[in-house]
Amino acid sequence: MRRPAKTCPVCESGVRVLDYKDDRTLGRFLTERGKILPSRLSGMCARHQRQLATAIKRARQLALLPYVKGYTG
Amino acid sequence: MARRYETVYIFDPALEDPAINEKLEKFHAQLTKDGKSSITNVAHWGKRTLAFPIKKKDSGHYVVAQFEAAATLLPEYERAVKLDEGVLRFLVVASEGLPAKPEAPAAVVATEEEELEEDEA
Repeated sequence: MRRPAKTCPVCESGVRVLDYKDDRTLGRFLTERGKILPSRLSGMCARHQRQLATAIKRARQLALLPYVKGYTG
Repeated sequence: MARRYETVYIFDPALEDPAINEKLEKFHAQLTKDGKSSITNVAHWGKRTLAFPIKKKDSGHYVVAQFEAAATLLPEYERAVKLDEGVLRFLVVASEGLPAKPEAPAAVVATEEEELEEDEA
C-alpha cells in the first residue's frame, strides 16, 4: 500500500528560506556524526533540501556546526 | 550596482568590545567610501563556543553586519578583513532572499522526529 505522502517540514512551517545562521534548526538535520540528513530521512522537498545543504555548509565554515560530530583532534 | 550583502565575522575572543568596534568601523569605511553604499544593520552575538577550534581558539566573538554596496568595492574590503589578525574567520554572502533582520530565529518545526523513524522500512 502507498504510504501517505510526507510533507516537507520547512514548507509546513511557512519559512521561505533557511537561514545559515540558525544553527539550532540546522542541527536537527544532521546525523549523529554530523553528516547532512538525506531528503529520504529529512522529508524535505527538493528545493528546501538544496537550501539546507548550502545552509549547513555555510554554518560549518563559521564553526556554528561541526564538520564531524564528536571528533577531538 | 549596489547589492545586499551580509558578513559574519568571528573575532578573537581576547579582543575587547572597543577594539572590535574600531576594527568594524575600519572595515566598513572601506565599503562606504564611495558615498552610495550603506551599512544597514550590525548585530553583536557576543562570545560563542566554536563547533571546532579555529587558530587554536575555542570561542569567538560573532558579529553579523548587513550592508548594501557595489560589488566592485568588495575585493578590497575582503582583503582588508583577511589581513586582520584579530579576525579568526569571516564569511560574506549575498543576502538577497535571506530574512532582513539578523537573528530572527525561524521557529522551524517540532514535528518530524516521529517521521524520521518510520522511514527506511
